[in-house]
Amino acid sequence: MHPIDVLQSYGPQFLNGALTTVALTGLSAILAAVIAPLFALVRVGGNRWAQWPLRLYISFMRGTPLLAQLFLVYYGAGQFRPTLEAWGLWPFFRDPFNCALLVFAVNSTAYQTEILRGGIQGVPPGEVEAARAVGMTRVQTLRRVVFPHAYRIAWPALGNEIILLMKASAIASVVTVFDIMGRTRQVFAKTFDFSAYLWAALLYLALTAIFIALWRLAEARLSRHIGARERGAGTEAVTKGAGA
Amino acid sequence: MTQAATGEKVVVRADDIRKNFGAVEVLKGISLQAKNHDVISILGASGSGKSTFLRCLNFLETPSSGTVAVHGEEVAVKNGRPQDQRQVERVRRHLGMVFQQFNLWTHRTALENVMEGPVQVKGLSRAEAREKAEALLARVGLAERMAMYPSQLSGGQQQRVAIARALAMEPDAILFDEPTSALDPELVGEVLKVMKSLAEEGRTMIVVTHEMGFARDVSTEVVFFHQGRIAEKGSPDECFNRPQSEPFQRFIAKIR
Repeated sequence: MHPIDVLQSYGPQFLNGALTTVALTGLSAILAAVIAPLFALVRVGGNRWAQWPLRLYISFMRGTPLLAQLFLVYYGAGQFRPTLEAWGLWPFFRDPFNCALLVFAVNSTAYQTEILRGGIQGVPPGEVEAARAVGMTRVQTLRRVVFPHAYRIAWPALGNEIILLMKASAIASVVTVFDIMGRTRQVFAKTFDFSAYLWAALLYLALTAIFIALWRLAEARLSRHIGARERGAGTEAVTKGAGA
Repeated sequence: MTQAATGEKVVVRADDIRKNFGAVEVLKGISLQAKNHDVISILGASGSGKSTFLRCLNFLETPSSGTVAVHGEEVAVKNGRPQDQRQVERVRRHLGMVFQQFNLWTHRTALENVMEGPVQVKGLSRAEAREKAEALLARVGLAERMAMYPSQLSGGQQQRVAIARALAMEPDAILFDEPTSALDPELVGEVLKVMKSLAEEGRTMIVVTHEMGFARDVSTEVVFFHQGRIAEKGSPDECFNRPQSEPFQRFIAKIR
């Protein structure tokens, strides 16, 4: 079979798989992004008793393979089916997509927490002090000064984490999620044509390329005050004297 | 508030402030009060505790003992911490602060820096805050730089934005922590000029500085810190022409 024929015959399957990959990655990245800032604040300023469970969780998530974590939840859920049914959670864990979503979100939360912790620690302390000196509350200081800086600093690393997550999401196909990889394996089983994997690779490449482009646009906006000196140099007005 | 009748209203009063960092006692009992329209210059060698003292006044540092009262409202401290964070925030609103390193919010333009406090802390509308911020920036000579980010401004311009930012809160007193020490020599003048104009319009100011000219010509009172204590205190004329304490005599001899 010609590679183009493979695409023509199975295009809808690939597209369907791509949507699943985007949904799986997007939802888990967003869930993680909601929780990570709270955890990051605990990592930076929380007391010892809040610290150590969090550190334990983070080292477990970073120190074990994602595949092992996925198996743990997916097959573990089967093992504990009666308990989960009693709690009314079985309908959730029965669906492999949900299991993958849960694992990816919990895993990415750990990474995003550590990335954001670095960002928060990189915020210029003088600017935080200025916010306090003007009478801002702690929450205002976080919202107006700390997080804008922390996200700007952490932005490239966060983008990297999401790209890694998107590619790692291919392992969801192992527990029968029909993402790009899952669909591709289906197509290959029918055609025995390796070009199915070629299309899968190109599809992942296209998704990451789009993501990177969007991420860079956002980065430029977040960092607009940094390159400002160069851009503004030619257009500056003549300074008026002090105290005018 | 009995002083109000005489026009000698005390804005900030510090009583027997002590501060230690670990085993080191940086402040060994400092008492000072600033009345309305006072311009107090705090002088001293580095390490004498003058910046720490200033930071104790608005609780960027919490005094280890002693009391600070702003407008007669004493800030309650317990176990080395202010008891009520709200009270600290309220007190800070009355005390503007200008830092050695300017500490402008680098992700906001000059105008946004000046608008931030009034909008976020005082709850002014953006339009109102903007109008006020524009007037203040014009006042410090930056009418044409309002849309610029701090990275596009010189040190002197940044410090003038920082002064406008402090003024925007309409504080009862402004604390200056070595406002010209981080500036190139040729930029010091423009900042001092603004500070002098503030003194002339009767603002209450407490200024930690190494600028002897400012201390002598602009301030109403000079305080000299030596090893965590006040070694000399008086009018500029008294202090500079008839210094009493031996440390201060040595200090001014070195500067001349």
